[in-house]
This record gives sequence, C-alpha cells and structure tokens, in this order.
Amino acid sequence: MKNILNKVSKTLFGSLSAMTLLMMTFPIEAFAKPKKITVGYLNLVNAQLVTKNLGLIQKEMPGVEVEHIKVGGGGDMLRAIAAKQVDFGGLGNPPTAIGVTRQLPIDGIMVLNMLDFVEAMVVRTDANIKSFKDLKGKTVAAPFGSTTHYLLLQALADEGIDPSSMTILDLRPNDIAAAWARGDLDAAWFWEPNLDKAVKRGGNIFMTSGIMEKRGYPTWDVGVVMKSFAKKYPEYVEKFVKAECAGIDFWINNPAKTAKIIAEELSLDLEDATRMMKGTEMVPCKKQLTSQYMGTSDDIGGFADTLVKTSKFLVSQKRLPKQLKRKDYEKFLDPSYLEKVVD
Amino acid sequence: MNNNQIKNKRNIKRFIPPFMRKKTFAYSMLTVNILFITWVVVTETGLADELFLPGPLKIWQSFIEVSTEGYQGNTLFVHVFTSVNRILAAFIMACIVGIPMGVLMGASKIARALLNPLIEFYRPLPPLGLYTLLVMWLGIGEESKLALLFLAALPGLIIATIQAVQNIDPVYLRVAKGLGASKKTILFNVYLPAAGPTILAGMRISLGFTYTVLVAAEIVAASAGIGWMIWDAAKFLLSDVVIMGLIVLGLTGIGLDIFMRFIGRILMPWTRYLGP
Repeated sequence: MKNILNKVSKTLFGSLSAMTLLMMTFPIEAFAKPKKITVGYLNLVNAQLVTKNLGLIQKEMPGVEVEHIKVGGGGDMLRAIAAKQVDFGGLGNPPTAIGVTRQLPIDGIMVLNMLDFVEAMVVRTDANIKSFKDLKGKTVAAPFGSTTHYLLLQALADEGIDPSSMTILDLRPNDIAAAWARGDLDAAWFWEPNLDKAVKRGGNIFMTSGIMEKRGYPTWDVGVVMKSFAKKYPEYVEKFVKAECAGIDFWINNPAKTAKIIAEELSLDLEDATRMMKGTEMVPCKKQLTSQYMGTSDDIGGFADTLVKTSKFLVSQKRLPKQLKRKDYEKFLDPSYLEKVVD
Repeated sequence: MNNNQIKNKRNIKRFIPPFMRKKTFAYSMLTVNILFITWVVVTETGLADELFLPGPLKIWQSFIEVSTEGYQGNTLFVHVFTSVNRILAAFIMACIVGIPMGVLMGASKIARALLNPLIEFYRPLPPLGLYTLLVMWLGIGEESKLALLFLAALPGLIIATIQAVQNIDPVYLRVAKGLGASKKTILFNVYLPAAGPTILAGMRISLGFTYTVLVAAEIVAASAGIGWMIWDAAKFLLSDVVIMGLIVLGLTGIGLDIFMRFIGRILMPWTRYLGP
C-alpha cells in the first residue's frame, strides 16, 4: 500500500514539475493573445450592431474567436459581468453607478451612445395622460435598474409625485411589448426596437430621454471591460475600442447603409430603423475625449458627474448602500485606450 | 442521582421534540455546523469576495433590516406571506383537480388513455418556457403566476395518485364487492384509505416541486414575494438580501413540508408511511 502511494506521489510530482518547466519556457505574457473574447451587447439601437454586422472586431483580431451575446437590459448585463460571463459589455449610467459603487472589477473605456428619443415613455392614448400627475392610479412599466427606470423615478421626484401613488412594474422590454399588446399597461418607459411596437398599438410618446437630458439628467451607455482582461491583454482592449470607433464612424458617414444593417440585425422595416437611428446620438471617438463625455486621463469629464448624481439618487432609493466620491468614479473611467486609438 | 433530578431531566426532555432526541439529529446538526463554520472562516479571512459572499453578520443585519424596515415597500413578512399564499392557492387548486383526475385515470383504462397524452406532453416542459405563453394569454397579473404554479403542481399529483390507485391490493376490492359494497362505499372506504398514504407522499413531492418554480413565477411584473425580492436584489447586486432571501426561502420550504406531514398525520392516522 505504502509503495503504491509512493509511486502515485512520485508520478504526480514528476508531471507537476514538468508542467511548471513547460510554463516557464513559454511565458504566457509574451504571447498575450486571448483564444476567445465575449462581447455582451445591449438589445438596443446603437453602433455596436454595425460593428457586429461588419465583423469589425474580428478584423482587428485575426485568429481570435469573437462571440457576441445579446443582453436584454442593464440589470442582466450587470449580472453577466458579476458572473464573469463577458469580457466586454455595455452599461447605462444607473447600472454603471451600481457596479462601480459595489466595486465590480470593470473599467469604462468608451462612450457607446447618448440616449435621445430612442428611449421614451409611451402612454396609452385612451388613458388620457397629459402630465406626470395623470399617472396616479395607473399601471406603469420600466425595466428596473435601467436608465429609463432611473429617469421615471427622477422625473416623479422632480414633480413631487409619490411613486407609490401608481403601480410601477418591473418588466423587460420584450415583456413590456407583450403586456402592452394585451392592454395590461397604461404607460411604459423603455427603448427601441420594442418601443415602436407599443406606439403602433394605441400609444403615443409622452416624454423622451432626450428631453430629460436637457433637464440635466443625461443618460448614456458606456463600454466596459473586465479589469482582469484589460490587465492581461491591454492591446486587445485597444483593438476593441478601435473597432467600435470604426463602427461609430461608419454610422455617422453612411446613414443609409447603417439603417439597412440595423433593419437586418433587429428584423425591422427600413423606415423604422431609420427613425430609431435618429433617436440615438453617436459620439465620434475624438469628441469622446472632451469634457462633456469621458474627458482625458488627466482630466476626467462629465460622465463622472453623471455617475455621482445617479448613485446619489440610487442611495436615496435604497438601491445602493453607500455613495462614493467623484474621484472613485473617475478611477472607473479610463480614456487611455481611446487616447491611443485617436492619436 | 436522586429522584428529583431524574424527574427534572424528564421534564426537560418533554420540551424537546421527539426528532431532536435522535442520534441522527446530532449528525444533521454536525453538517449544518460545519457549513456555518466554513462560511464564517471563508468570509472572515477574506478568502471570499464580500460582494458575492457577505459574512453571516451581514446577512443577519439585512434580515433585521428587511423584517423591520422592509425591502422596496414591503416587510419580509409580507414578502413571505404573499409567496406562501400564491403557492398554497395554486397547490390546493391543483389537488382539487389533480387527485380526482388521478383516481379516475387509475381506476379506468379509458380515462387514462384519454388524458395521458395531455399530461405526458406538458410535464417535461421547462416552466419558464411555458411562462412566456402564460403571460401572453393571461397577462402580467396574479392569474399567470398562479397558473404557472398550478401547472407545476399538477403532474406530480396525478401520477402519484394513479400509482396509488393501481397499487391497491385487488383482494380488497373483491372482498368489498363480494360483500355487496356500493360504488360510493368502495371509493370512500377502500380506494381512499388504501391509496391515501401514496397520494400524500405525492402531494409532498409535488408541493416541493411547486416551490422550486416560485422564483420563476415572480420574475415577471411582481412587486412583492420572496422570489421577486431575490430577483430584484440580484439586479442591484445586493447579495446580502439575495442570500438572506434564499435562507428564508429554504426555511419556509421546510416549514411547508412539516405542515404537509402534520396534515397527513391528522387525515391518515393509520399509517406511518410518511416517515421522518
């Protein structure tokens, strides 16, 4: 018996040391190239669809398998990130504020889009809702934890309306469209491509995220990377940013072709795709480095202020246990990859 | 040891429920304790990321907070009460439909042939897949939630009842018939008493399965319920609330099971089939 144990341990030790030797002769860092990258993209209308459709990321990274995963909303994306199921993701400002405050290991690397009327509050025409006050006693839906949930509660707070005076339901965008079709909802604040389905079935737009931006509540989606990935493969983060920037440029320079791509990716009519595109504002990568957006590595821009404001609000809603300082949110924003790509 | 001491000991023993006096209970407690100590060690030494696994103290604090101040407008009691209500309502409906259906299918080959395709088809469907359709048909209110729980409870009940009825010793039936018993007498005095224990065991399993579907049922458009609370807290990465909710969910499940066994003992005192 002892003999056998001895043999086993010797073989084990032998193979282990052989493996260590192998690993030492081929240092991983020198070849830093991921086998596969996973990009989680949000189910909404922005240039990530163009990047995906044209295979721009793949072009930047020959030999690397690129997988795209469609994620319904910010809450789901946050879970995917917490579970380390994606390398790159996209998050709206409320989920970002939650993730950063809870110290998720992520860095914000670029602006994916600014949200205009691609996100809007649709109200049932026969419910006769003309102001936020008319929502009292009505059933309102929004995906909890997302940009629109945040704007809804913020708008109610500004008007001094108690959210408990109405029924606010947590539904995902596609569930909102289904529930809307059945007539279960009076109002819903969510985004394209599902928003349009509600508008076409007896709804009209009452408020848009673009109007809320003018009131001082900008909402946006930021591209994030897992810290562990960025540390291991910094050049690949740069390649990713370069590809997404190319997608944004394509969007700005070829609106007609982009509309075709959007229509194809989301199974929409060309006409609808063209209109939805106008509701999302794409920011050219060079402009992203100005003070309104990411800012520069030395001087982080307005996105940090939005995060401070958003998390303050979430703390008041008891969705977040504590508030961080501006410099903590600055640390999350890392424009260095953008700076390298733009130069 | 004098008489008084022995008497005292007996008195104390009387307050300990019978199952706790057994040796096996001590072993069960050992597992629980080891788990708990591992939890404490892993969190105290910083081996586990606090974001994903907070320590027991944190969970206790969140328990107190949610019990007193509530989570998003409802206290823990309301959340548990809402969920247990949903479960019991759906389960009782399933019993009312499922047990007679099972007796019928067990006793009559024709009934079995007629109803089997229906049950065998939907039984293996994953609840969430079914749920999308239920939401489209019944809306986002209570109806779709109850329907999902009802459909989860039904097949287990029917299958257990069929088996219970089929396993009845035919001698009982022959004797009853030979003595001139009416159909009604046979149903109440032969079928039900003989099949009862197996049906009850089926009810226990079915209730357990219904319970596992709870979180799924509360994902869509709920604003109260323990399953919803867990789902919502996960969205905001409130892992203390998530873990606390799961513990409460588990304990409530055990509570429901004990309740079922208690009912069994009252309804069918002639059997010890249900076991520990």
